[in-house]
Amino acid sequence: MASKNKFLFAIIGVAAVVVFWIYWVSVNSSADNPTLVRYLSIGELKDQNHTSRVKLGGVVQAGSIAISDSNLLDVTFMLEQGGETLPVRYYGTRPDLFKDGVEVILEGRYKDGIFIADQLQTKCASRYEGDLREETKTQSGEL
Amino acid sequence: MPVVGSVALNLGLGFSILTILILVFYLHTKDYRLYLTGQRSALGVSVLAIIATLVLINELLRGNFDVDYVAHYTSLETPLLFKFSALWAGQSGSLLFWLSILSVYSLIVIFLYRNRHRKLMPWILIVLTSVQLFFYTLINFITNPFEPTSADFVVANGNGLNPLLQNVTMALHPPTLYLGFVGFSIPFAFAIAALITKETNPLWIRSIRRWSLVTWLFLSIGIILGGWWAYQELGWGGYWAWDPVENASFMPWLTATAFIHSIMIQEKKNMLRVWNMVLIILTFGLSVFGTFLTRSGVLSSVHSFAESPLGPMFIYFVILILVVSTALIIRRLPLLKSRKRLESFTSRESGFLFNNVVFIVICFAVFWGTIFPIISEAVRGTKITVGPPFFNQVTVPIGLFLLFLTGVGPLLAWRRTSKQGFIKNFTIPTIAALIGLIVFLYLGFTGYVLVAQTLIVFVIVAILLEFYRGINARRRRFGENPAQALLRMIRKNRSRYGGYIVHLGIVFMFVGFVGGAFNQEKEFSLKPGESEQLGEYNFQLKNLREEERLNHYAWIADLRATDTHNKFITILHPEKRVYFFRSPDPDRRQAHSELDIYKGIIKDIYSVFTGIEVDKNTAYFKIMINPLVWWVWLGGYVLVFGALISLWPARRMI
Repeated sequence: MASKNKFLFAIIGVAAVVVFWIYWVSVNSSADNPTLVRYLSIGELKDQNHTSRVKLGGVVQAGSIAISDSNLLDVTFMLEQGGETLPVRYYGTRPDLFKDGVEVILEGRYKDGIFIADQLQTKCASRYEGDLREETKTQSGEL
Repeated sequence: MPVVGSVALNLGLGFSILTILILVFYLHTKDYRLYLTGQRSALGVSVLAIIATLVLINELLRGNFDVDYVAHYTSLETPLLFKFSALWAGQSGSLLFWLSILSVYSLIVIFLYRNRHRKLMPWILIVLTSVQLFFYTLINFITNPFEPTSADFVVANGNGLNPLLQNVTMALHPPTLYLGFVGFSIPFAFAIAALITKETNPLWIRSIRRWSLVTWLFLSIGIILGGWWAYQELGWGGYWAWDPVENASFMPWLTATAFIHSIMIQEKKNMLRVWNMVLIILTFGLSVFGTFLTRSGVLSSVHSFAESPLGPMFIYFVILILVVSTALIIRRLPLLKSRKRLESFTSRESGFLFNNVVFIVICFAVFWGTIFPIISEAVRGTKITVGPPFFNQVTVPIGLFLLFLTGVGPLLAWRRTSKQGFIKNFTIPTIAALIGLIVFLYLGFTGYVLVAQTLIVFVIVAILLEFYRGINARRRRFGENPAQALLRMIRKNRSRYGGYIVHLGIVFMFVGFVGGAFNQEKEFSLKPGESEQLGEYNFQLKNLREEERLNHYAWIADLRATDTHNKFITILHPEKRVYFFRSPDPDRRQAHSELDIYKGIIKDIYSVFTGIEVDKNTAYFKIMINPLVWWVWLGGYVLVFGALISLWPARRMI
């Protein structure tokens, strides 16, 4: 029996260490190492004036995309969500599907009224099911 | 023709209910003719699913756009291969595909074991048919692939497949993954049948060990192909992003890997029987859960489809599986308990046990990270996302411990390792690892990278030493030459040496993972003739071309890479493409970056054509230098090779 307990303790010990480790990683989320990132709405972001790293979701306001003349990688646009808008600046490669009216997910920081994003993902309707159905119809209708 | 498919699906549903009833009736009456009827009816269930799949394939290849699914995922311009692979491009098709793979497996089971496992077979068939029944229900009532196009006009052309999916690897990745996911149904069915019938004869363990290995191999290949595809096609320069769906395939892989290790202990020592049952059930549960994550859209990811009522159905199914299985295990606990005990920490058994614990905790960490956003939102109302840094930080040290066990485990003796045994087995690998440590320290490596490198040396030397010892022993005993000795040794003990080769493959992959710590990346713009520097390389845009092709329009860059000594390395041709470019509606046009990679043993040069300003004649690029990625793919090949050696049938089949 003693030997059985020995192994049981060893296993429980390993499991406990790992659970603590997972907890430790979760709470030690920093700017350099963002393990857990909060996902906010524009309203919450403005109200609480968050300066830590957060995620935002919304739609790119039609006609708001302005690409810098000097550098194609530098873009500003307005993000719409829940009836509020927020200016966003993003530097880097944009996904192929980034355009007016597309749903995007941003990650970055809010600073002086502008959201500086360093990650931009598009949630693309055409890749998934829902919207395609409509497109099929309209397109085929034209033919 | 689509009607035939629809009818086959309806009949299949009916037949699966009938099969279960007949078999239950047989178990009550013990009239063997009833069993034969049930068996034939089970054949019917499987054959009908395969017929439905063939009908759908036929519609896809013919391009019958009256079927909604066909119009959705193919078009006149879609190349033939991708018309075929559209079978698993969408929700309903992929569920039908799942069902038909299970049906093929089911047919194999019925055929292989028609004269064996008499006691288990009725229950195995009941379990398998129940799983089929679940999928038949989904396909018949929730998402039917034969649904006609809901338009009041003639549909002349379909939507076409997403260009991202028009890649040969992408045509192969889902089916192999599915072969893996679905395959765990068989060990699961065996386990449940054994629990119900109180079968204690260990013969069935051997049958499911082979099944699990085959299935594990498919799952491994599927996961590697997925990484390969992401690397070739997605353009962010990596092969693994801890995307929820990647995690969904990784979790059953972890529990399955634990299982194929611990089942050896059951085979050899008849120990850990409860534990093995738990692992099989977990693996199957996670496979279904994986299908659910992929196909329900509960988590947003590259893979997800729109939300649908499938989600709850899958969750109920997983809960049903877990509840029934757990209840069964608890009821059979007295029977399953082993009289033997582990003796020592320094035994092969305890090595396996710790390997199992580690696999399970990694699985738990991944599971936690994957579902945490859902829990957080449900419980606290705050949305939180768990990013790759979480998974990397959590899993790297645990993974390194696992790497350590990969080296140590095979060096331990069964029951207890003696002092002499320790010295004999560990001296050389330890010295090699220490030398490695000093060299790597001298080269300036630190942290996890240093630990990983040292362990890699340790494990490789330990594995090679095992081969060397085996060969040497045969040379001395039988006077064979080394090549002969190697071949005969492997032939004599396929599963052992095959396993070592798989370990070697895993170590090679770790070499590749270590390389990931040194990735470099830069984004810049170039006009023809201009050049830019990254790391030790110089990139010059020689030329910018345009081309109109069958289903897209392409800008092609000729990017000349040279090293610092101006020595020519390669010309990269990344492309910027626009699909549906003829469409009058600009929203329909879809941009796509076709990247180009220069692959090498030491480094890959990864180029993405990110954007173009036609009027300014300026192209934008993202270039990455990714060291040692090649080793990940090499490790994949070695792993497959090793697993095939393990699986190669000895004289007798299964």
